[in-house]
Amino acid sequence: MMTFRRILKYFILGVIFVIMVFPLFWMFALSLKSSGGGLTLENFTYIFSANKFGRYLFNSALVGLVVTAGNILFCFMCGYALARRRVIGEKIWFYTVLIVLMVPVHIVIIPIYILMNKLGMYDSYAALILPWLVNPIGIFLIRQYVSTLPVSLEEAARIDGAGEMRILFKIVMPLCRPALAILAIQVFMTNWNSFLFPFILTSSEQYRTLPVALALLLGYQSINWSQLMAGSVVAVIPILAVFLVFQKQIIAGITAGAFKQ
Amino acid sequence: MNRYRRYKGWLLFSPWILTFLIFWLFPLVYSFILSLTDYRLLSPDVDWIGLGNYTRLFSDSDFVASLKNSFIFVIGTIPFTTVIALFFAVLLNERFRGRTFFRAAYFMPSITAMVVIALIFSNLLARGGYVHLLAQMIGLDPPANGFLLSEKTALFSIMGMDIWMASGYYMLLFLGGLQTIPNELYEAGRIAGASRWQQFRYITLPMLKPVTLFIIVINSIKSFQVFVEIFVMTKGGPLNSTFTGVYFVYETGLRQFDFGYASAAAYILFAIIALASLIQFKLLKTGWTA
Repeated sequence: MMTFRRILKYFILGVIFVIMVFPLFWMFALSLKSSGGGLTLENFTYIFSANKFGRYLFNSALVGLVVTAGNILFCFMCGYALARRRVIGEKIWFYTVLIVLMVPVHIVIIPIYILMNKLGMYDSYAALILPWLVNPIGIFLIRQYVSTLPVSLEEAARIDGAGEMRILFKIVMPLCRPALAILAIQVFMTNWNSFLFPFILTSSEQYRTLPVALALLLGYQSINWSQLMAGSVVAVIPILAVFLVFQKQIIAGITAGAFKQ
Repeated sequence: MNRYRRYKGWLLFSPWILTFLIFWLFPLVYSFILSLTDYRLLSPDVDWIGLGNYTRLFSDSDFVASLKNSFIFVIGTIPFTTVIALFFAVLLNERFRGRTFFRAAYFMPSITAMVVIALIFSNLLARGGYVHLLAQMIGLDPPANGFLLSEKTALFSIMGMDIWMASGYYMLLFLGGLQTIPNELYEAGRIAGASRWQQFRYITLPMLKPVTLFIIVINSIKSFQVFVEIFVMTKGGPLNSTFTGVYFVYETGLRQFDFGYASAAAYILFAIIALASLIQFKLLKTGWTA
């Protein structure tokens, strides 16, 4: 009886597994299919030579890394200032988190489009990077973490004559590494996958990121499904790699409510 | 000294103040002001038209249709996503071999870019794609040109894809909720002779109320904003059958450059989303039958 139950459970789990994983498997399979039907890498060489996938990949990586670095630095600074009560009005700043979570992005799309045009930043790296260098959820993640650290370390360093910068970046920041890692993973994955803003704020191929390129390529006569799927694989692999390496932290982070998208 | 330290505290905090003011507060206010004007790209003069855009919207059949589609999308996906996610979570809560593996696998669609998911499903749902073939095999009568080219099935297909994609993410939130339920409750239940179903019904479900509320509110906010999958898979077609609220904002604002009109539409959507969240809060807080 017990074993029947267990077999049934694994059977259900297996069926769901196939449903959840098949589409991604199919993407890989199609990307490796040659026009003759056999296995090949020609779809990958094609998209890197006939299309500018090298450039798109570079753009995605550059924007993703700069935005992640920005968030590590700025969320840390802001979170620290809040945790050590160096900034008043914490409640008000907490409301800005709610605003960012609740306000639908489509309201800010048009003003940001107009703003970027007026500032001469439309279709540039600045447009892709500047709005996302710091995020309030990250700030409060760091704030929580810093509040658990003893102030005595900072005070001792201050008595020893250490400057503000030194205390901040040489003493407190290294202690925040676990929280900063969660922040970095989350920010990188979100930014790497993002479509709406990169799509609206750029027009030339020079600044196109992978998701935008893929969305615009669908329906072109010059590209077939296998090539599109090869492009998708290029866009998915970095995220999949990050996920496989940091699986535990990511899943534990979401279950614990550390980052809610 | 103290004043100096405060000043430096504000300096440390300035990145968020600047980002918030420039990229959130200003656009929010500016977009509301725009919604009261007839501002278009390249139009020589801009006039105040008061609530003109708003009244025009409600007689615009495209906008009304887009609202209807958005509502269908939200109401048709959220119950399924929530129940499926809860089912996954209950299935993967107890300890057993392979638990971590299955959790990771079910969660995988949630970390994949929406654009990529939309591309894969465009292939699967097209004529001759695997979902299309499967539907034929089990005797359903799928549209001859594929699911996305028929106005009867396009919206429902995209909704199905969204349910598939989001379940794993909400499963993790439910798992977080399940972990907060103290084991003693179940022990007490067993001693009182409660069956597994009764334990689920009278212990698990009531204890999951806060997480469920959170999931429904967050998922509604997200689902009202569905855009990427529509853009990639159907561009609002066929025959406007997948033309949703945010797609309307994009189409009028950034393709026809009717900024004022699009901003008004965006604000109406915002009001609907805020109202829906509020109602959900009230309903679920009071009317939960436990």
